[in-house]
Parts: sequence; C-alpha cells; structure tokens
Amino acid sequence: MRKIVAGAVLLLVALCAWGAQMRSRGVSTAPILIDVYSDFQCPACKALYERTLGPLMYEYVDKGKVYLVHHEYPLPMHAHAMEAACYACAASRVGKYEQVCDVLFRQQETWAANGKVDETVCSILTPAEAKRVRALAKDPAIAAQIKQDIQAGQSAQVNQTPTMILTYRGKQYRLPGANYDILRRFIDQLLAN
Amino acid sequence: MRYFLIVLRVALALVFLYAAYMKLREPWLLFAMSIDAYQILPEWAALTLGRILPWLELFLGLLLATGFGLRYSAAGSSILLGVFFAVMVRAYVMGMKIDCACFGLGDVIGPRTLARDGALLALSVGLTVLALRNGRVFKTSQI
Repeated sequence: MRKIVAGAVLLLVALCAWGAQMRSRGVSTAPILIDVYSDFQCPACKALYERTLGPLMYEYVDKGKVYLVHHEYPLPMHAHAMEAACYACAASRVGKYEQVCDVLFRQQETWAANGKVDETVCSILTPAEAKRVRALAKDPAIAAQIKQDIQAGQSAQVNQTPTMILTYRGKQYRLPGANYDILRRFIDQLLAN
Repeated sequence: MRYFLIVLRVALALVFLYAAYMKLREPWLLFAMSIDAYQILPEWAALTLGRILPWLELFLGLLLATGFGLRYSAAGSSILLGVFFAVMVRAYVMGMKIDCACFGLGDVIGPRTLARDGALLALSVGLTVLALRNGRVFKTSQI
C-alpha cells in the first residue's frame, strides 16, 4: 500500500514538474532563472507580458542566457482568472501555451468583461486542439498543477501579481518592477560578474 | 524635554540607518527599479536616485545619531519622509500594487505601510519643531 501511495505521489510530482517545464522557455542550464508568477486577468501582468517578457525572451531567453518559467497565480478577486489559467495549462499539454498566453493577454479586456475564456482560447486552436484543450481544462490534474503553482508562490512569499523572482548562482532577487531597460542592465551586470 | 529630544532623534536615526542598510545590501538597480515602478520620474532620474538615495539616508541617519546640525538634519528628514509619504499615498490611491521599497524589497504599499510611514513623518516633524524651538531658546538665552 505504501509503495502504491509513494508511487502515486512521485507520479504527481513528475507530472507537475513536466507541466512546469512545458510552461517554460529557454534552456534549463542558462545561468539565470526567472520565475514569473502572474494572473491572466491582472492588467499589470498584461503590461509585463507585452513590454518586458517579449523583449526579454528575444534578447536573453532565446540566446540561452535566461531560463524563464511561468507559474499560474490566479487571484480570487478576478472572476475568470482561474478558468484562464486552466485553459493555458491545458494548452501547454498540446504545445500551445505561448500562443494561448498571447491571446489571453491581448484580449484581456474583452474576456474579462464577458467571461468568454473558452471562445478566446479556442479562436487560435485547430478544432482537434480545441476539443483536447477543453477536455484537459476540466481535468483535475490541471487544477492540481495550478494549485501547486499557487503553493509554490505562497512559499516564495508572492504577495502580488506579477512577481518575478530572479535566481543567479543560488541567490534570489525579487524584481520590484517591470522596466525592461533597468532589468536588462541588471541582468547584464550579473552576467558580467 | 532634552531627553525626549534625544530619544526622538536616536529613534529616527536608527530608522534611517536601517533603511539605508536594507537598500545598500541589495543591488542598487533593484532599488532603481522600485523607484521606476512609481511611474513618476523618468528612467534616468530613477537610476540616479537609486544610486544616491540610500547614501543620503545613511548620511541623514548619521547626522541624526550624532546630533550634529540637528535643525537641518531634522528638517531634511521631514522633507524626505514627506515626499516618500506623498508618493506612497499617490500610488495607493491610483491602485498601484507596487513595493514601497522603504526598507528593502517585498513590502507592498497598503494601509500598514502608509500608517508606518505616516507615523515616521509625524515623529520627524515633531523632532523638527522641537529642534527649531530648542535652537531658538538657545539663541535667545545666549543674547
């Protein structure tokens, strides 16, 4: 019995780790790791995604200098944030996480007002993908994955969204803003050291 | 009254020294990023302040601790805390969920941080008034 429970726990942990890996970008051996905790319905997260993460991915992540890991952190005050997070995680299982993030942030005002998360997400998926994502979004494993992200955020003392935590040589820095130019200077300074 | 003035001065000095220490132990660019998050100053000004503000706080803390030029250091600390408080209130009213960056990072602006900084401002203004009044009494008695 114990072996079965231990096996189930290991399987769940492995699945969650796999899920997190599918919501990451870059090489895991990059010198800098940035964990992003965000909520799809939060306007500041939209700004971060559009103004900071975009250029960061192009200039640092894709060049192997930074490994970017997304964590879902839907806030209870946002009515459709949890649903959006479920769809995004589900989309990661069909390899469409970034595309879904993009459409959710781009059309944030619309679906936040009318609640049509499903319509927004499925607009960029093929019918087969949409069917699979819809089914996966209701899967308890996806909810468990988001719950684990939230717990990870709570352990990291995340008290607002977005929160970016940069890890370099074992030291963690909580980034207090989203100004890309200053962030770029900071990353360059770390890498120069 | 003299002892009260000393207690007030040393307490405020410790606050400034602690604030400076908490900022100087982190990379200055992170503090500059916090200043920029208030969305008041241009980037170059945020970067400049990010570099010099912790040292200014350290300098004020040392002046307050020693009591040297108390009227000026107390007035300086009141002005500085007044500016901090004003920008924090502005950010809170605008619904900005940002770090206050008062004592390092991870302190989001809210009623607790506003009450704390408001209390510090009140203490500093009190110290300034007492220091100015004391200085005047001293000068009058000299005459």
